[in-house]
Amino acid sequence: MEIKVLAFAASPRRHGNSETLLDWVIAAMEEKDGVVVEKVVLNEADVNPCWGCNACEKLNRCVQDDGMTVLYDQIVDADVVVLALPVYCLGVCAQAKALIDRTQVFRSRKYVLHLPIVPPERAGKRVGLLIATAGQTWPYVFDGAVASVKCFFHVSAIRGQETRYLLINGVDKVGAVETHPTARTEAAAIADEVIALITERLSA
Amino acid sequence: MTAVQVLGVLGSPHRHGNTELLLDRFLDGALAAGGEVEKVVLTDLQYRPCRGCNACHKTGTCVLHDDAIPLIERMTRIDCCVIASPIYSMGITAELKGLVDRGQYLWAQRWILKTRSETLADPACRRGVFISTAGLSKETVFDAALPVMTAFFHGLGFADYDRLTVNGMDLYGGIKGHPTALSEASALGEAIIRDLHSQCSVRP
Repeated sequence: MEIKVLAFAASPRRHGNSETLLDWVIAAMEEKDGVVVEKVVLNEADVNPCWGCNACEKLNRCVQDDGMTVLYDQIVDADVVVLALPVYCLGVCAQAKALIDRTQVFRSRKYVLHLPIVPPERAGKRVGLLIATAGQTWPYVFDGAVASVKCFFHVSAIRGQETRYLLINGVDKVGAVETHPTARTEAAAIADEVIALITERLSA
Repeated sequence: MTAVQVLGVLGSPHRHGNTELLLDRFLDGALAAGGEVEKVVLTDLQYRPCRGCNACHKTGTCVLHDDAIPLIERMTRIDCCVIASPIYSMGITAELKGLVDRGQYLWAQRWILKTRSETLADPACRRGVFISTAGLSKETVFDAALPVMTAFFHGLGFADYDRLTVNGMDLYGGIKGHPTALSEASALGEAIIRDLHSQCSVRP
């Protein structure tokens, strides 16, 4: 059984804390049989913000033709979608917000046009993982980001019960996550959990 | 006494939609009360999102040279700073988030380099306003966006800001179908400018 994982590194900073966590997760996932990971560096993927034109409510597609065009198909094809991002100013970074807002196409497809996002046999058989880092240590620092990412997963036909979170705060400087007491272990553990969950769902 | 300067910043990519209509009515009210009004549309500007390079933590300035910093600088000095954005995916638009994230240098100046005063503006002389609309009717739809705006207004020198948030756009069929929002917007614009004219003792 092949498990397709689509993993977004949404930070503008290459090889920073959120991407390092993502790489640890990917490495742990790739140790499992059948797992194929496609990593997308969002800052190099040419994804514009949503124009808010609502044309997708009629066209069932976006009027913009940029890097998002292929990503729509990749998001739908994946069994597991991983989104790794830093929290900036108590929200997802602007680059991740552009990606999230562009999934308005899925919202239109589902709620306006009443069409499925994935074929019925794959419904409830997709898993999402949010990996987020924040410089501040406030316990509520991830609240805004989680709210937006829940929308992203929801419209992408990934249910709350199949969504997992790896949230590491107090990491700001490049490499801070390397010296975090538990981050590396948590990354390996969440990777195991996500692959176990998708394996169970796909074989059900 | 010089007129109160009002700057409206439109964060919606959708021209003349619900959010812009609401902003325009606020600005109409401000004008009627004797304010000097200007509107900036973010999608008309050229700027990139924050790169997360943290160079501003050392220098206090941004390494990117585009339209964002001159606008943010104006926002730090303007008497009445009005920021308007619809809610997309439980957050502000990617355009506005791009601008907010670029304000990181203000945070660095205030908290790391200590070159910006920790004292925030006297609300009798400077006021911030956040205008927002959301399609969803649920009362919590602005919850994730507000902390982002609190952080940004704080960076701009405002201890607090007025909120004009209108939910249920889908239910009302747009802002024109809302019974009170547009008149509330012009009344708020008028009231704030009147307050600033009458209450600020240091305005030249």
